[in-house]
Amino acid sequence: MKPAPFDYLAAKSISEAVEALAASGGDGKIIAGGQSLMPMINFRLVKPTILVDINRIGGLDRIEKHDDRLRIGATVRHHMTATDVLVFEHLPILQDAMHHVAHLTVRNRGTFCGSVCHADPAAEMPMMTLLLNGTITAWSVRGERQIAASDFFLGSLVNALEPDEFVTSIEIDTLKPDTGWGFEEFSRRQGDFALACAATTLRIEDGVARSVRFALMGVGETPLRLAAIEEIIDGKTVSESLLDQVSEALNDFLQPNTDLHASADYRRHLAGALARRALRDAWKRADLRKGKTDD
Amino acid sequence: MSHNDHSVELRPKLVGERVKRTEDPRFLTGVGRYVDDMSPAGMLHVALRRSDQPHARIIGIDVGEAFSVPGVVAIYDASDLDKDVKPAIPTSRMPGYYATPIWPLARGKVRYVGEPVVAIVAESRYAAEDALEHINIEYEPLPFAIRQVDAVKDDAPLLHEEAGTNTIIRREFKRGDVDTAFENAPVTVKGRFRMTRKTAVAMENRSYLAEWDQRKQSLTLHTSSGSPGIIRDVLSGCLDLPGTRLRVIAPDVGGSFGAKGSLYSEEMLVCILARKLARPVKYVSDRLEDLSGTSQAFDELIEAELAVTQDGTLIGLRADVIGDVGAYSIYPWTAALETVQVVSFLPGPYRMEHYRGRIRGVLTPKPPTGPYRGVGRPSSTFAMERLIEMAARKIGMDPVEFRRRNLVRAEEFPYRTASGIIWDKSAFQECLQGACDFVDYPNLVRERDAARKAGRWVGIGLASYAELTGIGSRISVAPGMPINTGTETSRIEIDATGAITAAFGLSSHGQGLETTLAQVIVDELGCKLEDIEVKHGDSSLVPMSSGTYASRSAVLGGGAATLAARVVKAKVLRAAAYLMEQSIEDLDIYDGIIASRNSNQTLTLKEVASAVYTQMGRIPRDQREDLTASETYDPYLGTACSSTHLTMVEVDTETYGVRILRYVVAEDCGKIINPMIVDGQVHGAVAQGIGAALLEEIVHDDQGQVVTASLADYLVPVATSVPNIGIVHIEADLPNNVGGFRGMGEGGTIGAPAAVANAVSDALSHLGVSVETLPVTPERIFQMLRDTNTPRSANST
Repeated sequence: MKPAPFDYLAAKSISEAVEALAASGGDGKIIAGGQSLMPMINFRLVKPTILVDINRIGGLDRIEKHDDRLRIGATVRHHMTATDVLVFEHLPILQDAMHHVAHLTVRNRGTFCGSVCHADPAAEMPMMTLLLNGTITAWSVRGERQIAASDFFLGSLVNALEPDEFVTSIEIDTLKPDTGWGFEEFSRRQGDFALACAATTLRIEDGVARSVRFALMGVGETPLRLAAIEEIIDGKTVSESLLDQVSEALNDFLQPNTDLHASADYRRHLAGALARRALRDAWKRADLRKGKTDD
Repeated sequence: MSHNDHSVELRPKLVGERVKRTEDPRFLTGVGRYVDDMSPAGMLHVALRRSDQPHARIIGIDVGEAFSVPGVVAIYDASDLDKDVKPAIPTSRMPGYYATPIWPLARGKVRYVGEPVVAIVAESRYAAEDALEHINIEYEPLPFAIRQVDAVKDDAPLLHEEAGTNTIIRREFKRGDVDTAFENAPVTVKGRFRMTRKTAVAMENRSYLAEWDQRKQSLTLHTSSGSPGIIRDVLSGCLDLPGTRLRVIAPDVGGSFGAKGSLYSEEMLVCILARKLARPVKYVSDRLEDLSGTSQAFDELIEAELAVTQDGTLIGLRADVIGDVGAYSIYPWTAALETVQVVSFLPGPYRMEHYRGRIRGVLTPKPPTGPYRGVGRPSSTFAMERLIEMAARKIGMDPVEFRRRNLVRAEEFPYRTASGIIWDKSAFQECLQGACDFVDYPNLVRERDAARKAGRWVGIGLASYAELTGIGSRISVAPGMPINTGTETSRIEIDATGAITAAFGLSSHGQGLETTLAQVIVDELGCKLEDIEVKHGDSSLVPMSSGTYASRSAVLGGGAATLAARVVKAKVLRAAAYLMEQSIEDLDIYDGIIASRNSNQTLTLKEVASAVYTQMGRIPRDQREDLTASETYDPYLGTACSSTHLTMVEVDTETYGVRILRYVVAEDCGKIINPMIVDGQVHGAVAQGIGAALLEEIVHDDQGQVVTASLADYLVPVATSVPNIGIVHIEADLPNNVGGFRGMGEGGTIGAPAAVANAVSDALSHLGVSVETLPVTPERIFQMLRDTNTPRSANST
């Protein structure tokens, strides 16, 4: 379990990193936390000719708030996200999600952006980016471009980046003070990849749900943002009969994989159960936070 | 020493004390020394090309450009090593058994995915693995039967043609007339229980380093083994080297759980290559190799049936078991170790007049099964304890009361089980009571019932069992195995500085034996703990040792240490009596000081040692004797270690995740040497048993490929999987061996799978399903519930 030979560059700037990536002709890889990449390299599933280390590039290790969005830099570790005061104040759902991300040693090294790029359909950060209308900023020798999260996840472990591009930051929505949220994940052990997971946010206006966001993971080739489910909930009171409707819709709609840990049927069942729990939580929280504003 | 002398009797003893482990400072500060920490000058590394075929003929091996990789020294397949080694043959006296020869590399054909085929030796492991990519092996796939139910059939493809069958183990135990007993039985229950394949996942992977001494033409093997003596003895034959030129050392070893107690191909290989190349050669298994090449466990299909009376008395038990032993019979334990013990222990700690248990052990293209903490009994206890609770439920009796009526009672010991095992006196009933008292069982039942009324799926499960530990020379630990497992030797020496060396052939790979054996010696010899250096894990220390396994080292090692310490103590006192001009009867030694009851005069152990060894003429020539002894202990019989586990679990009504709410173990391990270490053994073993119950399963697909090839797929328990574990120590009548110890390193893995299975079954009982396969995963619960078509109402009707 030793990697094939590769070159290594500790890039000092974005331009140095993108030039090295371009020069590698598509065989280079970016490394920040290495928590997904290193096992793949050690298994020789990935054989990059060069690893471009971005940890020494200044300014990528910050979480900043711009209006209603948080911008998370490429070297921000999970542990930093989990303990960040802006996240605590403006994105409690992300804190909930963080409880399910691997173990402390992994969280100390692994990065938010790296997890999104890895695009594991059962990992929390890709789904959260999709749920929170994320925008991914990528750099290459051609300059900077923005990719909407909805266009980013193409398949299991496949993202929309060109081989010579790398992500410098990701922006996601914060939650408004009157927004309730629910995050429900089930895995075989604490910290494992999800067998299924549901995340949702909503506000209550005039007794009905509004601004509904709803996403699932672990039940498809990519994380799923489900507009059809959002539409079912929008304008309604979250009641048991509405939840029945949601799980029925999910049952018809989802086509999960069967793998070692869960069959497609069980995953579908689980997605329904977790969706109900997440929506109940979100409704309860929205009810408690009703009428709250930024001041 | 007089036993009436209260001043002596009242002195504090170390046996029974929570002495901190003397090993821990080096482990906790990162200065332990494992095989992988050793890098002698000129050392070479080995990487292996392993079979990707379950069963295939090797047609050709093409090394391609492998030699062009910088650092590659040599490449070998089996044909290159024919003259360098004889195979290890795991012989057995069992009729109808076939001993599969064990070679360092696959010869002619491969028999499981992961079997070593080609070895590349290079200056670094990196270079060796780079070169592996150039190796091409051409195979002719052969037919195979990957499932035991298929492999056992008469027309199944043969894995070892020479055997003429895949069924290399057959054994039957019977007593009474079981079929008649069933015909007349008022109540019967039966099940088809499956304990799936597991693997030990020691923190340290298997690691081997062989050094060839060109000058002495001798070989030293450093190995992560639990049985360095056995490895020395077998390699002596394989390599044609006498014991004087072959030394096997197990340095610090990071866990075994049984899996490092057998001979491995890679262990043979590094020895051959070191001798061939006259350079040190190291092989360190990586986790991928560990999960596909280290011996595995269990994998039994148990069809069992229990007959009882309406008032809850056991009448008869019959069982037909197919054990999947993998592709080889493991050395030295053979494929009979795991399989036969399933049926020899199946009747458990209960009175059982009529019994028939049959086992067939069949070869399949998987890694061999071998010793794993608990051996056979995690499977047998799972099946038997499920039947016990099924029978109790059927006659409407509380499962605790049902057990109370059938566990062997104090006045019935020694009790001969239906399979011929002798239970000496052990606290069967008291453990059951102890576990129930600890949790306030009647109240716990009320708690469960209240939770159920609230719609929660909560259940209680128990498991009572006994195991035979500290086994002497009357029977082999592995059925039919000709190697002596009934003795251990301790050599104790006080040197001229007064320091004490206690040497054992046993190895300590997590058991804390450096501490516990020293505690035993302190009490016997009267020295200080810090003056003792316990040496172990080295074949050169004693003439013969079979190592640490089968819950034997406290009993056999502790017994041998006691005997040797007594001899040394007598020598110390004889010397002191002369030096102090006192009668030997008036002397005693405590805390390293020899004192007389008749004078204020004292001598230290150091002073006596100095007088004996270095002060010329201090003791007359005809009275002077070295302060050394070597004693071998053979307990002859074994002793029963017994326990009851009790757990309460909750199954999530929607996700089907299982959470353990309560867990208690009540156990009788005889005299406790160190309660802290016993607690640690129980905690660790219960965690391992919970893994077997809820998480761990080695899966081979229909193509014979292992699909649980990483720790993301082979799930071991993590901290959040393990609850607080209550422990009740019951020290009832001590067993009749030197020291009064019982072995207790394995018990937790025996009780936990059964207890958890029973609790989950209880939690799901209102839904008409129960656990027959472990691990009981959320997926399996989902499937069971779907198959019954029961409405998923939480409330029982």
